[in-house]
Amino acid sequence: MPRLGLSAIFMILTAGAAWAHASDPGFVLLLPTDIYIAAGGTTVALTVALLAVLPDGAAARVFRPVALTRLPAPPAQATSLVMTLILLWLVWRGLAGSRDPMANPLSLSVWVVFWIALVSLQGILGDLWRYLNPWTGLAAMTRRITGHRAPLRYPRGLGHLPGVLSFLAFAGFLLADPAPADPARLAVAVGGYWAVNMAALLLFGAPWLLRAEGITLLMRSYARVGLFARARGRLALGLPGWQILARPAPPLGLAILMLLLLGSGSFDGLNETFLWLGLLGLNPLEFPGRSAVIRPNMLGLLAANAALIAVFAAALWLGDRLAGTRTRLRVLACRYAPTMLPIALAYHVAHYLTSFLLDGQYVLGWLAGTLGAGHVHVSAGFLATPGTVRVIWMTQAGVVVAGHVIAILLAHAIAMRAGHGTRGAAISQAPIAIFMVAYTVFGLWLLAAPRGA
Amino acid sequence: MTTRNIPTRRTALKTLAGGAVAAALPLSARFSHAQSAAPIRIGFQQHRTGIGAAYGRWYGRTTQAALEKINADGGINGRPVEIIAEDDGTDPKRGAEVVEKFANQHDCDVVLGPLFSNVVTGSAPRAGELKMPYFVVSEGTHVSSGALNRYTLQPGITDVKSQVIAMAPFITDTLGKKVTMIFPDYGFGYDHRDALGPAIEAQGGEILAKIAIPPSETSFTRYFPKIPRETEVLYHVMVGPAVLTFVKELGEFFGGQGPELFGFIDSLEAVAIDSPGLQFLEGSHFWEGMCRHRQPDESAHETTYRAAVGVDARGASVHDASDVSTYGHMFGCWETLHIIKAGMEAAGYRDTRDRAALIEAVEAMEEIPESLAHPQGAKRFNGRTHQVFGHQFISKVQDGDLARVHTTPIDASVYPDQVDYTQQAF
Repeated sequence: MPRLGLSAIFMILTAGAAWAHASDPGFVLLLPTDIYIAAGGTTVALTVALLAVLPDGAAARVFRPVALTRLPAPPAQATSLVMTLILLWLVWRGLAGSRDPMANPLSLSVWVVFWIALVSLQGILGDLWRYLNPWTGLAAMTRRITGHRAPLRYPRGLGHLPGVLSFLAFAGFLLADPAPADPARLAVAVGGYWAVNMAALLLFGAPWLLRAEGITLLMRSYARVGLFARARGRLALGLPGWQILARPAPPLGLAILMLLLLGSGSFDGLNETFLWLGLLGLNPLEFPGRSAVIRPNMLGLLAANAALIAVFAAALWLGDRLAGTRTRLRVLACRYAPTMLPIALAYHVAHYLTSFLLDGQYVLGWLAGTLGAGHVHVSAGFLATPGTVRVIWMTQAGVVVAGHVIAILLAHAIAMRAGHGTRGAAISQAPIAIFMVAYTVFGLWLLAAPRGA
Repeated sequence: MTTRNIPTRRTALKTLAGGAVAAALPLSARFSHAQSAAPIRIGFQQHRTGIGAAYGRWYGRTTQAALEKINADGGINGRPVEIIAEDDGTDPKRGAEVVEKFANQHDCDVVLGPLFSNVVTGSAPRAGELKMPYFVVSEGTHVSSGALNRYTLQPGITDVKSQVIAMAPFITDTLGKKVTMIFPDYGFGYDHRDALGPAIEAQGGEILAKIAIPPSETSFTRYFPKIPRETEVLYHVMVGPAVLTFVKELGEFFGGQGPELFGFIDSLEAVAIDSPGLQFLEGSHFWEGMCRHRQPDESAHETTYRAAVGVDARGASVHDASDVSTYGHMFGCWETLHIIKAGMEAAGYRDTRDRAALIEAVEAMEEIPESLAHPQGAKRFNGRTHQVFGHQFISKVQDGDLARVHTTPIDASVYPDQVDYTQQAF
């Protein structure tokens, strides 16, 4: 007799405690989210309309960066080496420490500190991963001590394919593994992933990380949305996305990875909804656990990404035909895929905001316990309080809408640069603009939808 | 196992009251008379992640508080007690894996089980195969129905069937005899539907309509016109993210003019009853497993229990008044740990070879007096069905408070045995 139904209110209140799940709509369902969603979609649509009447170059101008300092970039090897030591310590704690994922520093570090917080900060600020990745410092030290140079050449023909597959494997672990937060299981996964990539880095040299290691590709892609980056020898600051305009278009493999970031993030939201559970024929009030949805979630992840790539490509192709420019689809995809990054990042931040607020308390609790600073009471009260639920939802919605507005501005500026006049740019961008308005509505709907997993 | 320490009913009962004596011992004496200083290891299958995580958090706090009390009182048989928590992900398959880990990796003596019944029913067969005593706190009627096995017991919390049965006399005597049920259209709802109907009819009442709502529904207005006009009591057991929407729409539909409302606190565990949007519940009645809001006649034991688990007079965390606990259920963890202690002491439990003796000791328990070990109230354990029976509370929402208006006698919740686990071999 499934007493399961008992706590169904908590699907709402605290799915947040499961990292792969943002939380909860109980009070969200009482908000007039239909109106907010319509307002969000309209905002993005108005941005499109505004761009059609603004003077040439207006969009590009807002992305012009400000140069800050000429100081050289600080060396990254020492911090990377420290991260290697921390990572190895965390893996050991995962194997030997607390079995409680909310008290084990490995589980907390991977899913709260890294996946939620660091990925968001990388996208907001810029390339922190250069300093915090656990591979390059050790590789540099090995090189210095042994004079060792990579004995093998990375097979150029593979391009970014290994990196794309590696990212998909990570997304699969996040979304379809039955127990991604279990400390011992996570320790094996993280330790194994680190070791394989460390060995490959020593064998193939830096190209391995830049083409075949999914997390570095993810982090370097999100860094392109960051406020800060170095340009012409100076540290510069600009509106999120300025780097996308300042840098050349990525190669096709990397462009596909950028789309996968958005597709996987969207599926991360979708797989918790009543809608998805209904498609699987599961009772949303009686979720049978992650063990029961491994295959559907893997297939869903692949299908969501395939669908996103297909719709994106179709919109680009159609816009190109409407503008009469006959550009190759491959060129278009590489040119415009980076404009999806602000949307993917915005959705990441919004989707995980409640999880961050709840699970972040466990991180503080672990820190306080380790430092002997006393007890931290983990409270989910803010999720059961209408006032804070409203503030959180509006913040999430604001972030998602801002991500789409930036994407629209970027796409317009890129189209202008490609030689379209304002009118041509507007025409070529019409299908992708419709796609982005629809995606805004979809993203906001995901945040407002009832969840059962 | 029969040669080792078979407890009598008398020793089992005597041990139930033993904690108070131990508490009076000085700290240095507390663990000193143990034959072995090795700790008793209790595996705690916890909903740490997944949909049960909020319950898991409060079940964890309550278990920790009980552990601290038991150790402060001298542990079990003079030995300290350790809790080894593993996350089951609120996932039945992982639940079984966790039970295996407790047996094979963590050398646990017994397992304290979780809330969600699908995890309990998924784990119990493995516990039986491993001959691991599995003490669950799930309220499921699956224990007493005979669906599980001799190694699975539910001595710390009553089951849904007994709760529903106990409610019927109050509903018909006080609220009205013409009852309409609204419930989610799956197993959980059916349990209420199937248990309440006969109980209401036995009291001379009548079920006018049974309105099943599809589980995926998030708006309910179109179902309300199906409520017969002559309905005197609306019995609702809605759960899920949309339960707040349900309450709000129900209130708007009736505008304060409708039938009496009777629900289960399960719908609103961990939600403040005075939350905006719930004002329509004013004047309605709820079943509570334990009264979330402090009652004027609260026992000293319950007051001590509240302080130990860290909740205030409104059942919220003493650290954050917005963090409302799962007060109506979590006492089950506290009481179950005390049953494990009493059972182990009655059985003279030394190591895993005494597991069968432990189960027999618990099966031998009958009347369990109200005490600090059992702050929810007195109970009666049925050793044949492995299920405990107890008092149930009915509270009325008055000025945003849950005020207890009725306590059912234990007898009102008893139903005929459907199994005799003691006939099963170990």
